[in-house]
Amino acid sequence: MNTSRDTLRDFREKMGRLGENFAREVVADDERVRRAKTTFTSKLDGRMAVDLETCIHCGMCAEACHFYEATGDESYAPVRKVEPLRRFYRRELSPLRWFFRPFTRDLTANELREWQPLVYDACTGCGRCDMMCPMGISISRMIRVMRDGLASAGLVPDELQALDNEQRDKGTVFGVGAEELRQCLADLAQQGVEIPLDRQPADVVVLTTAVEVLMFKETLAATGKIMSRLPYSWTMLSNAFDASNLGMLSGDGATQKKATAAIVDAARTCGAKTVVVPETGHAYQALRWEGPNELGEAPPFEVLALSEFIARETESGHLKLKKQGNGASVTYHDPCRLGRQSGVYDEPRQVLGDLGIEIREADSNRRENYCCGGGCAEYVIQRSAPLRQKAFEIKRREFDGTDADAVVTSCANCRVNLMIGAADSGWDRQVEGLAELVAANLAD
Amino acid sequence: MTLLDFARGPALQWSLIIFLVGVMWRLVGSLFYMARRDLARPRHEGSIRDGLGTIATRSLPAPQFEKRIRFQHYSGYAWHIGLFICVLFFAPHILFFESVLGFGWPNLPNGIILVTAAITLALLIALLIRRATNPVLRIISNADDYISMAVVILPLLTGILAFAHIGARYETMLALHFLSVESLFIWFPFGKLMHTALVLPSRFQAGAMYGRRGVKA
Repeated sequence: MNTSRDTLRDFREKMGRLGENFAREVVADDERVRRAKTTFTSKLDGRMAVDLETCIHCGMCAEACHFYEATGDESYAPVRKVEPLRRFYRRELSPLRWFFRPFTRDLTANELREWQPLVYDACTGCGRCDMMCPMGISISRMIRVMRDGLASAGLVPDELQALDNEQRDKGTVFGVGAEELRQCLADLAQQGVEIPLDRQPADVVVLTTAVEVLMFKETLAATGKIMSRLPYSWTMLSNAFDASNLGMLSGDGATQKKATAAIVDAARTCGAKTVVVPETGHAYQALRWEGPNELGEAPPFEVLALSEFIARETESGHLKLKKQGNGASVTYHDPCRLGRQSGVYDEPRQVLGDLGIEIREADSNRRENYCCGGGCAEYVIQRSAPLRQKAFEIKRREFDGTDADAVVTSCANCRVNLMIGAADSGWDRQVEGLAELVAANLAD
Repeated sequence: MTLLDFARGPALQWSLIIFLVGVMWRLVGSLFYMARRDLARPRHEGSIRDGLGTIATRSLPAPQFEKRIRFQHYSGYAWHIGLFICVLFFAPHILFFESVLGFGWPNLPNGIILVTAAITLALLIALLIRRATNPVLRIISNADDYISMAVVILPLLTGILAFAHIGARYETMLALHFLSVESLFIWFPFGKLMHTALVLPSRFQAGAMYGRRGVKA
């Protein structure tokens, strides 16, 4: 049931059409600047102020950036990507703004336009530079604020804006709504995998994403098989099944909050004690870390990534796995938002160990892992395909260095991006999802 | 009033006032800027320990990155250490500190100080050239970067010249040395030299933020 080349091709065509027939809001330049400044002001907090005050422009962050490493283009130095934010802060918010204002240029709409490709195409917010900075500065948080500012200025790239609009207006992503989910679950039921929908109350609510429904039905099936072995009442919810958060990725705070609130409200109504986020890194960040701050309170349930949940259930003895590695070796790709930005390193490795599979670590792994090259929805932006492919070559080199049989990850978006990179460069390594490996080795 | 009197008197007093008021102003303004509580439940307890840990670990480059930033990282350490040796262990400096603080400490031989100052100056000039020519550093640099380097280089340069009796007569060179140090005091709160005071809070908050998530930053 592995994702076929045809499925990947269809999905790529779908992405390629995102920017077509797209009506963009007309915004005057002055208004763009005003909106960006208002957003910068509201999003910039004390932690970021200290970061902006402390930067010494040493440029070491460039050495952590896969886009800089892949191209040698100095404009991809991470600190360069947040220059408008730094200047705005210094001129209008910093404690010494009265001193700096006469010497510091004001923001312009042209400048915001100029920074769009740096912030969306050439940064995946992976946070690798956060781990390098000798001052402890988090540039990935600043990139989030840059995206927020550009989004409010109406400067999100077309493809991403189209997806954001779709989620905001229709509540669907890539055209996948409740009906498409029902159809997918019906198909899986025919294959013998029963996934309950809208069963209430339920202890565990399991989320999925449009990308899984379209590209990785096998992951959904695997999740169903795993859940069926556990002693919990569980369900998916037709009014809140998609954990994707295009608002967070584009920088559109209203869509982000709406998407998060839909999940939190539905899970609360259902009486859930646990919400399991699917194999999608950004969804975990949106619900686990940013959600409570967006909504103003922590939700009345725990949020776990699927790999965290599986690891916990194997450890508790609820889930029994066949330790049949059969000499297989894999290398594990840490999705940035699950690994470096959330600390979910050990759980997937523990599960692979429980399966008896040998893990061959890439030179860069865990907190130093390289991004897949297309995270943070970068991979939907068509114009940046050549840049993305260059970044993929770094991953390919890292993977090849392990001589492992396959790559395993627990993020559908990383998986799509790695599969595209592999297809476009004739690389034949299999990229697999962790949940499928688990489901294929469930002990009786 | 001679130039030296001016440099030792009102210039020193006013530069120190600007230094102290400016540093306090910027520190208070930065550290108390709209603090927001993180409402997400932590994955890992122990933020304070993680914050302190990151203060220590960021003092060295992470092994994975070390080979890419070796020169920059260690040359940075080298010139900072060189500067502190010259400031704290040159006999006339200690006499000056003693006149202000009321106590002194042993000095290093002048020869060692001179060599240290020369090496430090050479390193700083090399780093200045690197900043002006390295494509990444050139594109991210602004006036602050160059002014901050200048106000560190000038006291070293004038100090060496005064010690070696090169250039203007000794009193004039000594006055210029004082004035260059005072330019450092005046620029300190306005530019990136403030990282001296902010690096610890910045590292701490990175460690604490990532620590809540279970990441050793």
